[in-house]
Amino acid sequence: MLGPTAAEPAVEIRDLRIERGGAEVLKGLSLSVSAGEVYALLGGNGAGKSTTLAVLMGLLRPSGGSVQVMGLDPATQADAVRRRIAYLPETVALYETLSAYENIAYFLGLSGDRPSRAEMDAALDAAGLQAGARTRRTSGFSKGMRQKVAIAMALLREVPVLLLDEPTTGLDPVAASDFNALVGGLRERGAAVLMVTHDLLGAADCADRIGFLAGGGIVEEVRADDGLDVLALHRRFGEAAAG
Amino acid sequence: MSPVLHIAANELRLMARARVAQLAIALVVILSAVAALTAISQGRESQEIRSRFQAQADREFDGQPARHPHRMVHYGHFVFRPLPALAGFDPGVDAFTGSTLFLEGHRQNSANFGDVRQSSLLVRFGQLTPAFVIQALGPLVLIFLGFGAIARERDSGLLRLHFTQGVRAGQVVLGKAAALSVVAGLILAPALGALAWLTLVGGAAPVAALTLAAGYAAYLLVWVLATTSISALAPSSRTALASLVAAWALSAILAPRLATDIALLAAPQPTRLETDIAIQRDLKKIGDSHNPDDPHFNAFRASVLKTYGVARVEDLPVNYRGLIAMEGERLTSSLFERYAERQFADQRRQSGMALALGLVSPTLAVRSLSMAASGTDLEGHRRFLRQAEAYRYAIVQRLNRLQAERLTFSDDSKRNSDPEAGRRVRIDPGAWRQTPDFVYRPASTSEALGAATPGLLLLGGWLALAGGLAWAASRRLERAGA
Repeated sequence: MLGPTAAEPAVEIRDLRIERGGAEVLKGLSLSVSAGEVYALLGGNGAGKSTTLAVLMGLLRPSGGSVQVMGLDPATQADAVRRRIAYLPETVALYETLSAYENIAYFLGLSGDRPSRAEMDAALDAAGLQAGARTRRTSGFSKGMRQKVAIAMALLREVPVLLLDEPTTGLDPVAASDFNALVGGLRERGAAVLMVTHDLLGAADCADRIGFLAGGGIVEEVRADDGLDVLALHRRFGEAAAG
Repeated sequence: MSPVLHIAANELRLMARARVAQLAIALVVILSAVAALTAISQGRESQEIRSRFQAQADREFDGQPARHPHRMVHYGHFVFRPLPALAGFDPGVDAFTGSTLFLEGHRQNSANFGDVRQSSLLVRFGQLTPAFVIQALGPLVLIFLGFGAIARERDSGLLRLHFTQGVRAGQVVLGKAAALSVVAGLILAPALGALAWLTLVGGAAPVAALTLAAGYAAYLLVWVLATTSISALAPSSRTALASLVAAWALSAILAPRLATDIALLAAPQPTRLETDIAIQRDLKKIGDSHNPDDPHFNAFRASVLKTYGVARVEDLPVNYRGLIAMEGERLTSSLFERYAERQFADQRRQSGMALALGLVSPTLAVRSLSMAASGTDLEGHRRFLRQAEAYRYAIVQRLNRLQAERLTFSDDSKRNSDPEAGRRVRIDPGAWRQTPDFVYRPASTSEALGAATPGLLLLGGWLALAGGLAWAASRRLERAGA
């Protein structure tokens, strides 16, 4: 992974404002994610979590505030930003008639990379996809297996920033736990991970910091170092979302 | 490899692994190949039949026994329009207009023996020719293979994955269009093979074949770009499919039928019966050579007598009956020509109207180009009718001249009452053999190209429009961020 310098955060959002359909979805969101850090952004449905990711990928232009990914502005330098990030949607889409190897080779080939079979195996090993599944068509892959393929792609691309959109939704507890361990591994490799989720337990399991998004901004931010009382957090999160 | 080529190669790999795509491509390529082979074989067979019958008709005319020349005028002669070298590729109106004319004195007959008149009504629905396969079936296959190229990937999230790899929307649109263009090339390949064969072996003009190849390539490219663009613009793959199938039905099925009806309404033509009645009415006005009081023929007789300086027709050095026949033929022929030109003008207005409708249907545009370059448009038919009429007039007048110069007025007047006179008015059959055969002169390459130009320009316009649509679709996709 290409880690950002310690001096500046990999992802920095300041006073971000987004208007969609006449309504202000984000009203001054600020957060930052450093290299080797996992930040979980929690929020209810429609809170603006996925919108935040779309802005970071340069797919949406902010109506106010500033956003930087590796020191670049996604609104004006979208291509450069996209070369530095990997994005895992809630449901990882893969070409169903292609194998895991073929999907990886194709998507990496879009940016001119041509990983060898050994390199792909190393990344898939790290992501935890069984060797027997790698040559099979992905049409029969579970959500977890798809995520592993996407993580392997991110590892091969050696991107410094990972954006995860509801990664554990729909996963069984074992698969969710495996995934959280995988995210921990990404942190160890020096990646900055921004994960949007409404899975508090999963966030508490792997995140260094958790921010509660409600009313268009962060209403509370907690650090794992401070010791997390999940039940208390759940209560406060519920109150913040309702209020 | 550039992202565009990379996307195109992947799209082709996906098609190669999808059973429906395999089936659709195989089916249309087989149909196209069968149509191409049929075009080559039917063209050769049809040309052989026409040549054989023309030779037989010439032989029978030449082999007539000694006869009165006017009997030969009514014996008549068949002429066949030689099949244009590219007619197998696109039969155009040939199947409807007919290719055979019976030529005789005092009459101008319609062409006969079009395939449609000899076949079941199903022929009208569409013959399996390379032109039909590419015009009607080619776009349909492109639509079924391409409607989801972008829409389905947007629905599934694959498109966003492309964008997050740094790929631009324009590159996705171009890549998908490039893959679909390869399919278009496969559809076109057998037809191009047939064109090459018809040019190298069948003697078709290379420029005409190249015009056809360029026109059909442009036509399929219009559908490739339209399909990819609609796939990018439509809110869902289902909407994309519905919109594209509706556009195909309108352009390839409805518009050609409507164009005919609209053209007929805009420039109506009298029926054959109405025309015949009108001609008969006008013929009566011209005069009756058998009526001793007819002013026109009385004036004609006076003029002839004056020219030869004699007082009676019996004293003329030529057979007055032959002169009357020549004058009668001249009058009726000019009348026929007037009616024919009026009809041709109506037909040209109808063709113009149908061509103008090419503004709403690329199929009409390519159809016009295709028939013109193949030499099977209405202009080609009119060319045949004009040349056949000129030939008819020439041989009838030649026979009338024989009557005037080789027969005496006296023998000719009593040929039915005096057997000896009846024998003397029979002309040696060598005269029939000296009658020149009908030689059809097809349109020159420049004439065929000139006729194809409006269709080519319309297709160019469609291509520009489809290119603009692809550009707009890319811009919108980029802005929407999938």
